[in-house]
Amino acid sequence: MTAARLLRHETILAILTVLALIVLANLSDKFFTAENLLNQGRLMSEVGLVALAMTFVIVTGGIDLSVGSILGMTAILLGVFWQNVGLPLPLAMVAALLCGTLAGLGNGLIITRFKVPPLIATLATLALYRGLAEGISQARSVRGYPEWFFYFGQGELLGVPFQLWLLGLLTTIAGVILGLTTFGRATYAVGANETAARFSGIRVDATKLWIYTAAGFLAGLAAVIFVSRVTTTRSDMGTGLELDVITGVVLGGTSIFGGKGTIVGTALGLILIQALKNGLALSGVKGDGTIVVIGVVLIAAILAGALFDRNRGG
Amino acid sequence: MSNAATTVPIGRTPFRRFLGGYGQEIVVLLSIAALFAVVGAVNQRFLSDNNINAIFAGNAYIAIAAIGMSMVIVSGHIDVSVGSLIGVIATMAGTLAVSGYPVWIAWVAPILFAIAVNAGVGALIAYTRIPSIVVTLGMLSILKGGLISVTAGAWITNLPAEFMIAQMRPFGIPSAVWFMVGLTVIAALFMRYTDFGRAIYAVGGNIEAARAAGLNPERTVVGVFALHGFFAGIAGILFATQLQVIQSTVPPNLELTVITASVIGGVSILGGTGTVIGSTLAAILFACIGSALIFLNVSAYWLRAVLGLMILATVLADMARRRRAR
Amino acid sequence: MRKLTLAAALLGFGLMSGTALAGSAWTGGDDQATNPLACDATPAAAAAKDYDGGSPTGAPDRAGKPIKVVDVPKLIGIGYFNATTKGILDAAKELGNVDAKTDGPTKANIDEQITFIDNYITSGVDGILFAANDPVAIAPVLKKALYKGINVVGYDANSTPDARQWFVNQAQFNGIGKALIDDMAKEIGEEGSFAIVTSTFTTPNQARWIAEMSAYAAACHPKMKWLETVEAQEDNNLSFNQATTLINKYGDELKGIFGMTSVATPASAEAVTQAGKCGKIAVVGLATPNAMKPYVAKDCVKSVVLWNPVDLGYAAMMVLRAVADGTLKPGATSVKAGKLGDLQVINGSEILLGAPYTFTKDNIGQFDF
Repeated sequence: MTAARLLRHETILAILTVLALIVLANLSDKFFTAENLLNQGRLMSEVGLVALAMTFVIVTGGIDLSVGSILGMTAILLGVFWQNVGLPLPLAMVAALLCGTLAGLGNGLIITRFKVPPLIATLATLALYRGLAEGISQARSVRGYPEWFFYFGQGELLGVPFQLWLLGLLTTIAGVILGLTTFGRATYAVGANETAARFSGIRVDATKLWIYTAAGFLAGLAAVIFVSRVTTTRSDMGTGLELDVITGVVLGGTSIFGGKGTIVGTALGLILIQALKNGLALSGVKGDGTIVVIGVVLIAAILAGALFDRNRGG
Repeated sequence: MSNAATTVPIGRTPFRRFLGGYGQEIVVLLSIAALFAVVGAVNQRFLSDNNINAIFAGNAYIAIAAIGMSMVIVSGHIDVSVGSLIGVIATMAGTLAVSGYPVWIAWVAPILFAIAVNAGVGALIAYTRIPSIVVTLGMLSILKGGLISVTAGAWITNLPAEFMIAQMRPFGIPSAVWFMVGLTVIAALFMRYTDFGRAIYAVGGNIEAARAAGLNPERTVVGVFALHGFFAGIAGILFATQLQVIQSTVPPNLELTVITASVIGGVSILGGTGTVIGSTLAAILFACIGSALIFLNVSAYWLRAVLGLMILATVLADMARRRRAR
Repeated sequence: MRKLTLAAALLGFGLMSGTALAGSAWTGGDDQATNPLACDATPAAAAAKDYDGGSPTGAPDRAGKPIKVVDVPKLIGIGYFNATTKGILDAAKELGNVDAKTDGPTKANIDEQITFIDNYITSGVDGILFAANDPVAIAPVLKKALYKGINVVGYDANSTPDARQWFVNQAQFNGIGKALIDDMAKEIGEEGSFAIVTSTFTTPNQARWIAEMSAYAAACHPKMKWLETVEAQEDNNLSFNQATTLINKYGDELKGIFGMTSVATPASAEAVTQAGKCGKIAVVGLATPNAMKPYVAKDCVKSVVLWNPVDLGYAAMMVLRAVADGTLKPGATSVKAGKLGDLQVINGSEILLGAPYTFTKDNIGQFDF
């Protein structure tokens, strides 16, 4: 599999994204401004962070439907650790992140130890983690965080939103891990053919365990940023996040059957969706119309990629 | 017997063979029985006619949608747009009914529409090889956004009484229950004894082997999605006629409920195995759990956590059973 | 076998923890202070309070000029917010110099609502109307709007006061609490038992109403018995199933059901109808008239409490125009709201629409929303 072939879908997507940006910039003069673009970066950070891990998950041929629930649970725990347990806020952040990570580890264990298919395992934990968030919070919100805490979700560093730096950094790290390291190659191998990977000495279970744990961690990180951005915690935070994330990842060309996909593709997919949502809104299209356009673009982009691939192959 | 529907190698004794073929269905059935026994002991009213009718009739549309979903999953695909489709069907049916069309048109036309839409979806999946999750994620957006664009979410009220098919009670049993039982039996026989039914298993199990055996996998997939549209259509009509008001929006998280019912019922998400009896039983199990938790006075705040634990427990029990059966 | 045991243990643990933690207070209320009204109709003395709303920075002079307004409700596609939209558009038409539209998320989601508002700030509107999914979560983006010189007015569901200029309050929480409990007491008697069907426990308005109902019932109808509260999202069929389960669970003990949303109330009425319990189980709640007409006509539901959401949208639009024109300033005690006449300012920066309206068999036919 050559790099050129791997990048095929990404190239189409990049062209599509640039086209979309040009069209949207022409539709509204408010769209292509530094302020708007940076702000959009801020708004897509939570989905973006989770999508990084989701790319790995889907490349292994798995799926994680529980990320939105992990986000909700971590957000609730952050508030509870700080206000009800009385931990200092930095410590509460670490503890909540740890719990998010453990939730991801739990998914990984159910999937690898009990051999439950990822879709079923995370369907179950989708309900379980959301339920824990509701039960622990008793439907109460935790508010009144100190001012410094809002930096993560609302602050800027050198004129760029804080979380965008974080997203950029982690995207780079994820891209390097998936594209250039042994772990990345193992990830592809597991997704392409799990049995073959096992026989060629790849630690399939360990690889999966790491990936699902990372998904929990990133969902937790997204939770902290989300809480900081909206200044409150609620147990219904992150509901439906999984579908947004998966849409971005598959639009980015990651194959749901595993073995194929890149972080670059995911990043492009997310940017395209966010640009469409924002640009269409700015040019006067209502939210329901935007949803329809995103659905059409998703199918069309993958269709274009598939036809292109087939013409080359056939 | 055909072992296309079995998930594990056939055992030695007929009993074991039976267990092997219907293991998950038995697990789910026992769970339902246990639930009725325990909750009935705590509060006798759980076993009243009214409550049992309510549990079955109120959730029959989920079970019926899960039949079609099971076929889709058995064929190696998935459909995450089913909730949106049901919302669209319900709205169409209601709109036709209040616009003065004869009720049978209000019932049949949306079902035909659902079949057509899903046949199109199936064709897109089969002939372009785009993963079904991508196509149906797209459809989810298109149907949901389109529905609100068209209706602006205006509720449909003043539905004619003869339109309310889900509220009819032939022989004292809600018609939704008749539909659920009848369609499950027909679908189960269909899956087992017709060439097309067996083709679904073959295509989901190994598409190349199916092709080599002379089947046309593309046509099978289109057919499966069309059938799924039929079941979703009926589910949509029952959904629409249960209450006097149709919301004209997409019922929240319905697709997850339907998929969960299918997979917990023993349909392997990897395709090729599973039965529609299992998915119907699983839909009933969820409905029972939802009701039982209220009867047991489980704190409302912890309700969903308990539900999640129960789903997880069912899944793990199934895995343990499969291991032992092997 | 080990795994089977584990599964059973999980199940058992779940059930036990769930049961053990069952609360005794009215589930679904919040912890905030309540302010129950007097049992008779004595109006509470309104404490004078200084203006505590925010103000836009560097807002241009919009007096008499055409303005562009966006309305972002909690969600679109439910009867209630369709009605408020109608009111907003009616007012905009009447004013003649307002270009108003409604846009919002398809489910009551704090994140999506914030994104919608953010996009409209960027697109350059003059005014924002909102009904908050969460009073605190929405505050940062509303403050951003004020900072950009946009006029911000809330209705239906408030934000923290400093994040908007004015809030049009459809009815005070304690007023709704009193009206609902009094209506229920009238129908089921002072010793009746009732249950509540709400949307979700995290929805702020519903949580506030339940807390106020609890406080008012404790003070004025102490013998009424609350049985339980169930969640039903904003989902018709789930509301119906939940209400049916309550009817089956409590049998004759259950005398009344409160529907806390415009979705839950008609669905509860339908559940009572289909169970053949019309007249035996009272349904009292907040709802829009169109959905309730069949039940009111059949005498299954005696009274439905709601403000007129068309008027609420209308008033919100009128207030926004008054703010943009500079005729409504901090410290004002009332505001002219077109056909609704003068509306009172309360609590510093809130405008009261009026007392909640009770729809009955006699007047429900006059309303169409």
